[in-house]
Amino acid sequence: MNPSLVSLDKLSVHYPLGRRLIGKSPVLKAIDEVSLDIPKGSFFGLVGESGSGKTTLGRAILRAAPISGGHAVYNDGEVDYDLGTIGKDALRDYRKRSQLIFQDPYAALSPRMTVRDIIAEPLEVMGLTKNREETDARVREIAAKCRLNLEHLRRFPHAFSGGQRQRISIARALVTGPKFVVADESVAALDVSIQADILNLLKQLQRDLDLTFLFISHDLSVVAHVCDYVAVMYLGSIVEVSPTRELFKQPKHPYTRALLSAIPSLDPDDTGKQQRLPGEMPSPANPPSGCRFHTRCPVAQESCKTDVPHLQDAQGGARVSCNFWRENLPA
Amino acid sequence: MSTPLISVKDLTIRFKTDEGLITAVEDVSFDIAPGEVLGLVGESGSGKSVTAKALMQLNAGNTRYGDNSQIILNVPGQEPLDALAIKRERDMIQIRGGAISMIFQEPMASFAPAISVGDQMVEQLLLHSDMNKKRAREISIEMLDRVGISEPSKRIDQYAFEFSGGMRQRAMIAMALSTKPKLLIADEPTTALDVTIQAQVIDLMKDLVGEFGMGILFITHDLGVIAQTADRVAVMYLGRIVETGAVRNVITKPAHPYTQGLLHALPRLDDLDAPLVPVPGDIPSPLERPSGCVFHTRCDRFIAGVCDANPPEATLVEDGHTAKCFDLTKTSEVA
Repeated sequence: MNPSLVSLDKLSVHYPLGRRLIGKSPVLKAIDEVSLDIPKGSFFGLVGESGSGKTTLGRAILRAAPISGGHAVYNDGEVDYDLGTIGKDALRDYRKRSQLIFQDPYAALSPRMTVRDIIAEPLEVMGLTKNREETDARVREIAAKCRLNLEHLRRFPHAFSGGQRQRISIARALVTGPKFVVADESVAALDVSIQADILNLLKQLQRDLDLTFLFISHDLSVVAHVCDYVAVMYLGSIVEVSPTRELFKQPKHPYTRALLSAIPSLDPDDTGKQQRLPGEMPSPANPPSGCRFHTRCPVAQESCKTDVPHLQDAQGGARVSCNFWRENLPA
Repeated sequence: MSTPLISVKDLTIRFKTDEGLITAVEDVSFDIAPGEVLGLVGESGSGKSVTAKALMQLNAGNTRYGDNSQIILNVPGQEPLDALAIKRERDMIQIRGGAISMIFQEPMASFAPAISVGDQMVEQLLLHSDMNKKRAREISIEMLDRVGISEPSKRIDQYAFEFSGGMRQRAMIAMALSTKPKLLIADEPTTALDVTIQAQVIDLMKDLVGEFGMGILFITHDLGVIAQTADRVAVMYLGRIVETGAVRNVITKPAHPYTQGLLHALPRLDDLDAPLVPVPGDIPSPLERPSGCVFHTRCDRFIAGVCDANPPEATLVEDGHTAKCFDLTKTSEVA
């Protein structure tokens, strides 16, 4: 395993929910003590349902969400930043090393700017190029890598389809030469026939430019095809981290198993009904005690209501946050 | 085969815009029998939602239907009715919410925010039947209970914002089914939901079809959802149905190059090594509709002078399975 590019140690993101006169003020624990290592050069998947905190985690690593506790360390071999206490100048440098690709290519691009200006903006804002010629050269270089036609650069975003727009926003994210890219649901808004094209492009860019991706998605089948590692989130914590093959071959956490069996199969006979989860995810403002999953867990035991499980090593390089994972493996 | 519940014949839908007439749907025909689930699958812009809305005449005022287009509704015990021939809004009421109900994609946007869920359910029952308010409320509570909403007698007086996403979609289903429609149109009913909730809603819909025996037009872009819910499927591309047949046949033995392309582009969990093959090119703008076969601009079997000249006719591949393509020699076994 490569050394980590980003490592999180009990990272928490809490948001205050108003104030109380007496007693402790309530907080919403969007991310609760997450520890995670993202190996350099990997395509790291982060999956979970809406409200599980996957977007917040991605943003916290980018310093776009406040870190309320724990540590997040970024080390690419050239620099070493503790993101919780990072200074102003270092943060400016970190901004060009880390980038975000958004979900909706229709909302992410300004309709009043040409494609060239959209892609060039990060360079100009960060002052990374000396003159217009250099900027144009960088823009053309990255546009070609993202398979954009050079004559497209003079047009406005409205002239492009969803897939082309997503290629523009990828070019914009990569123009500063980042090492670490967070792709937040970057193919969720695209049709299937286009989605495959963008996924292949991201994989190719990762290899060519030596990038590390944090790929956030709710779609397990997409993650299965592009990621090297997968972390599964539920209600602000990581329930399982595993090399992708191992996760799909033998999911160990009951939540991961339920998530996998909930994906509608293309085989009409395979209804996957054996592991349906009852109910819905509880509110993160008032999470269940003990194991946060116990209210929906099909194999919960009495002690799950009080004992908080921690990530423990399991076979195949997986780590799982369930005190009974061994007992519950299907024979 | 018994009389179909609804028969759509040569449905063509154009929208009058500043840039001229835009064709959204062209020569679409399908039947749905009582108790049958027809899946309508296609990407954005393929015209699937516009087709569904046409059944209830919910399209905007600039809609122009083709001269030969017919939507014949056969409600048992009533004269066949052409929905497109109805001119007065007042007469549409017997179809909208009565014979046909619809479930929309975004459950938050489909409920009025300032009226309690119960009042909305009661209102439509009063409109479509001669029951009194008390009875309508009882039925509403019963339906909420049926779709798995706990404490329905308490929940019924709550507002949509007090429901979670999955509950809202359940309430939507309860509401759509309470008038016992003959045909249910479900337009991407699970797209906004998480997978675990989607699985619950799919199970629920399957149970209810068996119980109520209505026909369903199930619209989605997700082939997995179609495989799990539909009996037959129609694949739409740029306003045309390119392939139709029993779900099993279309998914395992797709004949049309577009259907084959879709299935190859789909990340599959049963084969993680399979490369993802995108369908080349982009969906053309509706303003630049390709001539002949609408798929020819992205097709790898394109024959110059044939495919771009005339639209292909439906060709029988096997029993009940047809595809519209000039070159159906290449079959593709997928899974």
